[in-house]
Amino acid sequence: MLGRGVACALTGASYGSITRAPLSAASHSRKYLLMNIYLPIAEMSVNAALFLGMGWAVGFLSGMFGVGGGFLLTPLLMFMGVPTAVAVGTGSMQILASSVSGAVAQYQRNNVDIKMGAVLVVGGVVGSVIGVSLMKILRQVGQFDLFVALSYVLFLGAVGALMMIESVGTIRKRQTGQASPRKTGQHSWVHGLPFKMRFHRSKLYISALPPAMIGAFVGFMAAIMGVGGGFVMVPAMIYLLRVPTSVVIGTSLFQITFVMAVTTFLQAVQNKSVDVVLALLLIVGGVIGAQFGAAAGAKLKGEQLRFLLAGLVLLVCLRIGWDLMNKPVEIYSIGPVIGGAN
Amino acid sequence: MARMTLALLAVLLLLLPVLAQDSRAPRVGPPRPAATPNADAPLETVEADVSTRTLEVTTGFTGHEIIVFGAIDNSQAPEGDANYYDVVVVVEGTPFPIVVRRKSDVGGVWINTSSVTFSSVPSYYAIASTRPIEEIAGPSVLERNAIGFQHIKMTPSASYKGVLKEYEVAAFRDAVIRLKKKQKLYVTEPKDGVVFAGRSLFRAAIPLPANVPVGPLVARTYLFRKGEAVSAHIARVTLHRAGLERVVHNFAFLHPAGYGLFAVLVAVGSGLLASTFFKRRNA
Repeated sequence: MLGRGVACALTGASYGSITRAPLSAASHSRKYLLMNIYLPIAEMSVNAALFLGMGWAVGFLSGMFGVGGGFLLTPLLMFMGVPTAVAVGTGSMQILASSVSGAVAQYQRNNVDIKMGAVLVVGGVVGSVIGVSLMKILRQVGQFDLFVALSYVLFLGAVGALMMIESVGTIRKRQTGQASPRKTGQHSWVHGLPFKMRFHRSKLYISALPPAMIGAFVGFMAAIMGVGGGFVMVPAMIYLLRVPTSVVIGTSLFQITFVMAVTTFLQAVQNKSVDVVLALLLIVGGVIGAQFGAAAGAKLKGEQLRFLLAGLVLLVCLRIGWDLMNKPVEIYSIGPVIGGAN
Repeated sequence: MARMTLALLAVLLLLLPVLAQDSRAPRVGPPRPAATPNADAPLETVEADVSTRTLEVTTGFTGHEIIVFGAIDNSQAPEGDANYYDVVVVVEGTPFPIVVRRKSDVGGVWINTSSVTFSSVPSYYAIASTRPIEEIAGPSVLERNAIGFQHIKMTPSASYKGVLKEYEVAAFRDAVIRLKKKQKLYVTEPKDGVVFAGRSLFRAAIPLPANVPVGPLVARTYLFRKGEAVSAHIARVTLHRAGLERVVHNFAFLHPAGYGLFAVLVAVGSGLLASTFFKRRNA
């Protein structure tokens, strides 16, 4: 009742200002800012400005830290009441839009190991297919939200903690004036596997299995969590595959772009969970935010950025974990019957 | 013999409106006139209509208020007795199957552990009445006409049997009502819900929220006298998608592969467009 009253007051105010005040650019923009948009797939009416702003904020942070931002955007959409499946499906479309230009730029600068990228993409597509299918099953049995939340807590917790430890260590060393020891090419179990391939651009001669498996794992995560997976793939390529840092970013962007395109398509076909209208709001906000974020990020040192990013990752992780552990106000939930009668 | 034929004819006439109803809409109980004060006068009936017969859900849809208005024919209300009749308006959405899930604490984590599927639950349900419905009629009358949240017809699927007890299923049922109320999809307007303008004209405002599920709505109007439903009338509202909202929704659900490709192209196109725009601006 109260909510409706507030909504009426809001729309009333906006219309009032337009009819009373002489038509000016200001009143036009005010009407535009208060515009509600009905999302065709999420089936809810949302404030366009709010979601543009959310896209902007996530774009700012992703531009600043040089990350995809899916791990921020997808939970944020869920907090806003967008159904989990739609948040995840639409998230992959937004990530595709934000990674494609980066991938093209890296390719033009010859920073992509196409062969390695192709192996990662093949693995990624397999992982994505498995993830999207598993998502459908989990939705039917009502455990999808739980699975997504647990995945977030697990991955964000682990990545955030590792990044925090690493960045604090680097900041300390810088303060005490020590140089961090550089590890040189060590041989690990990775080098003993079959199906060896020569990756010229990465100057590697290793088995195709580890990159394919890493790709599959990231593709699976992408489908289930609505993230790009760069935060897992970049460290995995550096520390497990020992890919030179010069091609890591380009190659991972290459993989993310292709896997996200496949994931978006599969989500639309299998789960009907891609909302183009919602994605466009987020993309428009995101690309503008990323420009400001990149400028802000240039003023900070790498380890400072990683420290802040780790803090952010851990905050998101704690928030989702808190919701899982805390007794919910409402222990019942309702949803449509998926598959079967519907 | 003639008397019997007349009686049969009368019964048939009473049944006709019932037979003509859509099978999906709850049956409106046949008028059961209590002892009429004036046996010779024709029976009072109610007629009603809705201000908006068709509603379009477009990209700009933020909800809508529909007005159900009507009149009492052959009103026998004595002069000055404003409370002689009661009017109840029920607006109901298409029934859908839904799953209700209940979380419980499993080792410190709240997990969905049990669920009940109701094979048909009205997507939307609004009641407007001249007085709170409990004051208008007894529970059996309300039950028969599916008036009131407690009397909404919800049939749980059989699979829960042996797993959940009867009172637990009732708790799931209550949860549906509570959650739907929270989403403003189940609404009740007992105070000034139905307002009389004069002796026989009345109107009721029914708020349809922005999240109202798209589909046909049925508006049932009941006329009550002394706790009995003496007449009922049905009007329909169609709620359908229109404009861009319709195009996108149909595209996504009727041609999912095409829609998926479209989504990929939109994302790639907008991503590249944005980067070239900013490159040119920053250069």
